[in-house]
Amino acid sequence: MIKKILSLVLLFYFLSLLQTSFLVHFSVGGRVLNLVLISLIILNFIRYFNNEVLITISFIAGLFLDIFSNHFIGFWVAILLGITFFIRFILKRYVQI
Amino acid sequence: MIYIFKKKFIIKVIFIVLFFVLLNLYQKEVRNFFYSISSFFQKSFWFIGKEINNGIQSIVFLHKNQRENQELKILIQELLSKTAIISNLEDENKTLREALGVGLQKDFKLVFAQVVGKDISQDYLIINKGAKDKIVSNLPIITEQKILVGRITDVYDSFSRVELITNKKSSLEAKIQGKEIKGLVKGKNNLRMTLDLVPQYEEVKEGDFLQTTSTGNIFPKGILVGLIKEVQKSDVEPFQKIEVQPFFNLKQLDNIFIITEF
Repeated sequence: MIKKILSLVLLFYFLSLLQTSFLVHFSVGGRVLNLVLISLIILNFIRYFNNEVLITISFIAGLFLDIFSNHFIGFWVAILLGITFFIRFILKRYVQI
Repeated sequence: MIYIFKKKFIIKVIFIVLFFVLLNLYQKEVRNFFYSISSFFQKSFWFIGKEINNGIQSIVFLHKNQRENQELKILIQELLSKTAIISNLEDENKTLREALGVGLQKDFKLVFAQVVGKDISQDYLIINKGAKDKIVSNLPIITEQKILVGRITDVYDSFSRVELITNKKSSLEAKIQGKEIKGLVKGKNNLRMTLDLVPQYEEVKEGDFLQTTSTGNIFPKGILVGLIKEVQKSDVEPFQKIEVQPFFNLKQLDNIFIITEF
């Protein structure tokens, strides 16, 4: 599990950097694609990762986004954790058998 | 059993709250640490992104560029003739200043900096100069072409955060070049801004240039801000609705200058 988390931390760190430095040049109407958010949503639908991994990763990805944005630290953590909990709840209640 | 569970839960919550309080209290140090370890990758990504974007644009907008090229050639000819007139006026001005004993205005004292990243959701930039380089809050930022970019809001040890003039929190007084029409340039986020507080009777044209005034003492006088993009007049409203296009191009923004004295 630690291996999974570590590789995902590195991936999300890389995505945060990509989002703040590379994707800025491909903005549409001044808006930049939120790669971290999209990746996390996709990750939530992959059964390979359990709840603990996803919650830890949402927390860390949120921290990366907070550090590279101008919001207070905790803003993106709360949003990403909220999204993860919501998706897991929907999947558990309505989709998974 | 329930008591122990509740106790554990409360301890966890307190621990998380404390963690975030501490992170926010020491956010300057935390952010500076992350910017330091990431600046190399950010600079590289910024450069690669800029080059790829330039390549794509040159292919996609080839026809448009050819037309623009023709228009620019005409504009250069017009500007050359104006430069000749300005050169004469400068000589005349210099002679008059010498005769009156008035010293020429000092140039700005500038510090060179490089952009390392942009805020994902708001109009902020991160630059590679900070408190170590004697940078303080509220210093204006311009481009090589003396175009206004924004001002410094947060200073970390080796990095600073720049609030772009297009940021929603940003507002500054500007006047239309060659006219005595003044207004308030307000940021609207996503690289958009407007010119407010211009009465309906004032003649503002699309294509007019905006420049800073000395009011506010943050930005030096006479720096280019933007171009009037759209003017909407209405009898119901007291002021005109004016859209302004910033002069700086974020995608081309690599090197900037911090004005430390003006």
